[in-house]
Amino acid sequence: MLIFSCTSNPNKSDSIRIRWVHDPETLDPMLLPNQAAFDANNLLNISLLQADVLTKELAPALAEALPAIQLVGDSLMKLGYRIKPAAAWDTGRPVLASDVEFTLKLMFCPGLSNEVARNQYRFIRAVLADARDPRRFALVCQGQAIEYQKASGEFFVLSEAALDPRGQLRRFALADLQNRPAAAPPDSALQALARRYVAATTGHISSQLPGCGPYRLVAWEKDRYLTFQRKPHWWADQLRPVPFVLQARPRLLRYVIIPDAATATLALRRGDLDVYPQMPAHEFARLQASPAARASLSFYSTPSYDVVTAGFNTRHPALADAATRRALSRCFDAAGLLRATQLGAGQRSTGVISPADSLNYNDSLALLPFDPPGAAWLLRQAGWQRAGQADSGWFRSAGLHGGRQQLRLVLRYRADESLFATIALQFQATAAGIGIPVILQPTESGAFTMALRTGDFDMYVRVLKGNPFMFNFTPVLHSSSVGISNSTGFSTPASDRLIEAITTADTRVHRARLLRQFQALMQQEAPLVPLFFLPNRIAADRRLRGLHASSLKPGYSAATLERGPSSSPTP
Amino acid sequence: MAILTFAPLSWAQKLALLWLGLVVLAAGLAPVLPLPYRPGVPDLAHLAQAPFGPGRHWLGTDPQGRDVLSVLVFGARTAMLLTLPAAVMAGLLGAAAGGAAGYWGNTTRLAAPWWLLGVGSTWWALRLPVPLLGLVVAALGLGLTLATRLYRRPVPAWPVPINAVVMGAATTLDTIPRLVLVVALAASTAVSQPVLLALLTLTSWPYPARLVRAQMLRVRALPFIEAARAAGVPAGQIWLRHALPQALQPLRTTLPLSIAGLLALESTLSFLGIGLPPDVASWGRLLATAREEPTAWWIFLFPSILLIISMLSLNALGRQRRILG
Repeated sequence: MLIFSCTSNPNKSDSIRIRWVHDPETLDPMLLPNQAAFDANNLLNISLLQADVLTKELAPALAEALPAIQLVGDSLMKLGYRIKPAAAWDTGRPVLASDVEFTLKLMFCPGLSNEVARNQYRFIRAVLADARDPRRFALVCQGQAIEYQKASGEFFVLSEAALDPRGQLRRFALADLQNRPAAAPPDSALQALARRYVAATTGHISSQLPGCGPYRLVAWEKDRYLTFQRKPHWWADQLRPVPFVLQARPRLLRYVIIPDAATATLALRRGDLDVYPQMPAHEFARLQASPAARASLSFYSTPSYDVVTAGFNTRHPALADAATRRALSRCFDAAGLLRATQLGAGQRSTGVISPADSLNYNDSLALLPFDPPGAAWLLRQAGWQRAGQADSGWFRSAGLHGGRQQLRLVLRYRADESLFATIALQFQATAAGIGIPVILQPTESGAFTMALRTGDFDMYVRVLKGNPFMFNFTPVLHSSSVGISNSTGFSTPASDRLIEAITTADTRVHRARLLRQFQALMQQEAPLVPLFFLPNRIAADRRLRGLHASSLKPGYSAATLERGPSSSPTP
Repeated sequence: MAILTFAPLSWAQKLALLWLGLVVLAAGLAPVLPLPYRPGVPDLAHLAQAPFGPGRHWLGTDPQGRDVLSVLVFGARTAMLLTLPAAVMAGLLGAAAGGAAGYWGNTTRLAAPWWLLGVGSTWWALRLPVPLLGLVVAALGLGLTLATRLYRRPVPAWPVPINAVVMGAATTLDTIPRLVLVVALAASTAVSQPVLLALLTLTSWPYPARLVRAQMLRVRALPFIEAARAAGVPAGQIWLRHALPQALQPLRTTLPLSIAGLLALESTLSFLGIGLPPDVASWGRLLATAREEPTAWWIFLFPSILLIISMLSLNALGRQRRILG
């Protein structure tokens, strides 16, 4: 509360104030470690295609239209794009195909933390510029997957002129950078570019990258607030009509970081906050029941693609086998947790695909039972033996090299989220009941991200955010992402093949069949335990218009918010 | 020789003693008490349940579904197992340091081999650069000590500024508010119950050290100490057997106050979420969960009552006067 009091803007009507749980940590558009970082980049930069919360589809943003598809032989696909003629950088220089090519090359530039983007966009093998039209280009994709049409346009386009004014990256072809061996001798031009990029994406706001998005970052106090100011003359203002994904109405958008839920609720009720997304169920219900709150606030609730999951560190010997992981999975009381923490809203799931997606969700699989005796039985099947004394834990032989493994777990979760604390306590209590010691480690958000990256955990609880457009599990579960974004470290040749097949599937039906196989495999291997899909709950100032609550992340549209004299809630 | 007698207890002090006895009893018997729930087990069917509601939660549950009564009882155990040992250990550490500082001041001298042994051991223990060098120096010191004893040769002796070192360390610790110091230390290391115990001890010894030092300055000038010196009793023996027991008197009065301070500090740390692990029951942590459910008055009220009564009781006992006759 004190933090917020110090940061609140005295001119309340001028800005829209939105709550974030934690700091975005970095605004590097190729890193995007959390939802806050993604939301911030959505204001600063524009991608070729952006999610439209009205239609729940990807819509053209920088691009004039969805890409034209041209199949080449039986293994290549060309996606033809043209950038909107009005699109321009802050300097007035137009956004061109060369900027798109530069951005793609930057994803493979050595010396940058671009591993996630690398894995995500590796399928784009070349950019073919149109000699007659500098805004027109075609992306040559390896494979003919139906996802490519949308996935090819989801990255933020960066300015070549700002980062590489001398065009040093032009002498490298995209494929050269993609195929560049890790042990290749360092190139001074690439090193200089990497240094410039790092300098532009870290540190003070004055060094931020110039974007072609509608907002400029004008203030960033770490762990306190970020303020975005609308550019007075933004290129999309010239468009008639302005497409929904390019609308930018608030003059100032202020994201206030308030980790504590009760403090955020107080701020909302005091009028120091306009939008409170992802509100905990009990707070939401309490406010809805309050006549005073109902008079001043609007309440929105939609399903979401955010799934609460527990993950195992499969690199640890005790958790390397699927049988042990399956046994431990039975210690989560997902149904009880859903009832208790979401008041029955939300939905249980057999996998990371939402049950709302009837085509792709594998409804032939059974939901994971809460079954502590079954867990103990499965542990015995996995070779574990209970020590003589009841509270001594479980042990098993470590194999040929001798020694004994002990089943003793460290469970990490983000300290600012009481939902995770409840899940962790439930798991710990159940595990203790069958003799498994579990140490809980609530961890600060930034340290949690680092712990997941470095594998400093046995288990974790977190939310995985998804969408209905794409099913690329490479960053989360593929071997190429181990040590980067595959926190569990899980991969098998079969799962890798299946993930690759899903991303390159050429029809929806084929992809659905593969996705169902994938869900069955994941339930069998159990590197993750999907507990339930969260509902998206938002409480906002009743005078706000244009919130457009949606299942798509972040669950509302920040750029279309407007403060009116009075408003009625949009369902 | 001084004789210690107790003044008769007032009604308030008797009540305080009774209350603290009850808390200690509950803490001691917590594992065997017939409580309907264990403190770390969430009841998912009854989150933030009001007292005497369904589910046999007589004092309600917290927002994680933990039984408030169980948390209070086991929280008393945590408080007792943490604050009482911390207060006693801080008292002992302070007594040893303050007693030595008061008795010897900066005048005592130590033979050079002992210096070498001390410096070398410290070097090695603190893992300063080239720790092996510390071991070599310590070994040299030990060798010289044995040699001088064997050959009975005089060796140079250097002064040991015990008083300056102890008071310097105490003053340094006193310059930083204790809460800030403990928070900073707790944030930089993984906090478990033993670590927190060590942190509380290491940040709480200066006050008893100052008290004992002041008392020792008076005691060392008393005639019976002079008599012991004249009789040729070794200095260490005089300090330990005759001077220190007298210098410890003030600690008996301040121990309850020290426990009260540590109880408040532990509760504050738990309230801030940087104290004990989340599965360890604590009154402060229970108070903190009231932020998640502001309408759940029972989460705030019951631990507050326990904390207030316990602190008042400890303060009442601390005010008990001793008469030196």
